[in-house]
Amino acid sequence: MSVSRDEVLRIAQLAELDVDEDALSDLVAQLSRIIDYVAQLSAVPANGNVKAFVPGPDAIRFRPDEVNPAPLAFGPAAFAPAFKEGFFVVPKLDQFE
Amino acid sequence: MSDAKAVADRLVKAKRLNALLTPPKDLRKSLATQEAAARPTGVLYGMPVSVKDNICTLEFTTTCGSRILEGYRSPYEATAVAKLKAAGALIAGKTNCDEFAMGSSTEHSAYGRVLHPLDKTRVPGGSSGGSAALVAAGAVPAALGSETGGSVRQPAAFCGVVGIKPTYGRVSRYGLVAFGSSLDQIGVFGRSVHDAARVLSVISGRDARDSTCEDRDPLRLPNVPESLQGFVIGLPREYFPPELDPAVRRACDGAVRMMRELGAAVREVSLPHTPYAVPTYYVIAPAEASSNLARYDGVRYGPRFDGNLDLRSLYRSTRGQGFGAEVRRRVLIGTYVLSAGYYDAYYKRAQQMRALIAQDFRNVFDRGVDLLFTPTVPSPAFKAGEKLSDPIAMYMSDIFTVTANLAGLPAMSLPIGRLKGLPIGGQLIGQAFLEDEMIEAAYALERVVPATEES
Repeated sequence: MSVSRDEVLRIAQLAELDVDEDALSDLVAQLSRIIDYVAQLSAVPANGNVKAFVPGPDAIRFRPDEVNPAPLAFGPAAFAPAFKEGFFVVPKLDQFE
Repeated sequence: MSDAKAVADRLVKAKRLNALLTPPKDLRKSLATQEAAARPTGVLYGMPVSVKDNICTLEFTTTCGSRILEGYRSPYEATAVAKLKAAGALIAGKTNCDEFAMGSSTEHSAYGRVLHPLDKTRVPGGSSGGSAALVAAGAVPAALGSETGGSVRQPAAFCGVVGIKPTYGRVSRYGLVAFGSSLDQIGVFGRSVHDAARVLSVISGRDARDSTCEDRDPLRLPNVPESLQGFVIGLPREYFPPELDPAVRRACDGAVRMMRELGAAVREVSLPHTPYAVPTYYVIAPAEASSNLARYDGVRYGPRFDGNLDLRSLYRSTRGQGFGAEVRRRVLIGTYVLSAGYYDAYYKRAQQMRALIAQDFRNVFDRGVDLLFTPTVPSPAFKAGEKLSDPIAMYMSDIFTVTANLAGLPAMSLPIGRLKGLPIGGQLIGQAFLEDEMIEAAYALERVVPATEES
């Protein structure tokens, strides 16, 4: 396995994603297989001179620095799971980090 | 002009495919309202166009095929949708897709798989499988999809319809739910090249709300040409490997013969970095997805799972329960390849490979080749469940399509034959912003190719 169980748990923590204990061994195997597969890229000789390819316009188009409110059909109260007096309501932090 | 009731009837009749996520009642009500408001002078007046469920609409919910956006109504609509409406088109419901457009079979939808219209044991392809299936079933003449690695062209090939992915920057992505931002483009499906092309022409063009959309006029449709005299078509040898399905090869050979007969010059060319395209894609796309999907946290939209916990647990349980297996895998892979210690080995290397893949195309086009012709997918539609347990086998379905996304080029699939009744697609890849040339060649090929005959 190119990715260990502990590594998967660490990545899941970074990704803020709960991983089901029952599914963990399958997930470790699948992620290892994917990582092994994409690792073939490192077999290609590195070429530091290659300039990264970025699709899209060559230069960022500037526009006047004006405030143009986005015309929303309705506000966040209609789609947020919990919204009160103009604020998204969230549970408290377990501890200060 | 087809009336709203007839449009809704046709879509409801195709219900067994599970291709449409909009409930019939909502569909009928909205179509009637839209019909009353449609502009009779619009170039698409009365044309029903179904829209993939990762493109925001005001009329219907936008769930991206995910539980994490179940019931979500967007407070704004995509520019592409607004342009369709301004042209008089009717937004004919939202189509089922792989969750957040991650998949090649539409089996990764939280709302059940889509059935292939010609064989219910098979997949319609993906991720825009619902859009492709509805067009193939004759329920709508055209539909919108989206592409990150082939999600319009691959289902178009499987279902036997036309699918176009425009150049990166040709169509505004305002209101397209982000997956891989350096790759994503809205694309179109049509019964014919013309149906797909005229929808593309309407949705293309500049948009102040998307800084990655090029400052260009909408695409102008070419005329149907008498011949392909003057066209130089390249056949990249890496796209015709020995293991290619023999029927796919025969169909491609037939199409090439017809292009020659129409006067095109055909040359073999090489795109040497093609074998690295899928691994490159499966580093870059998950890396971008893991960042883009960070916004789904149970705080601002969508349902909240286990909301009584502390904040971090809320994030983790909402994402853990809200995302399906394939999305979880890609978020984890993306996080892994971007994490300290692995960034250079995977992400940076993939970026370099992407540049080499784009350079391959430039080299070929610089030598006088106008268009490339390839198979769209190595084989016809596979059986449902066949590739579900093996992510890599599923990813290989994109082997001939991911390169155009990595290089930002326009590409399209059109039906060129059949194997045991299942459609086979041929792909044209064009030069950046020369969709008109690509569509011109497709018009010519469409007229002569035996699209519904056995290859």
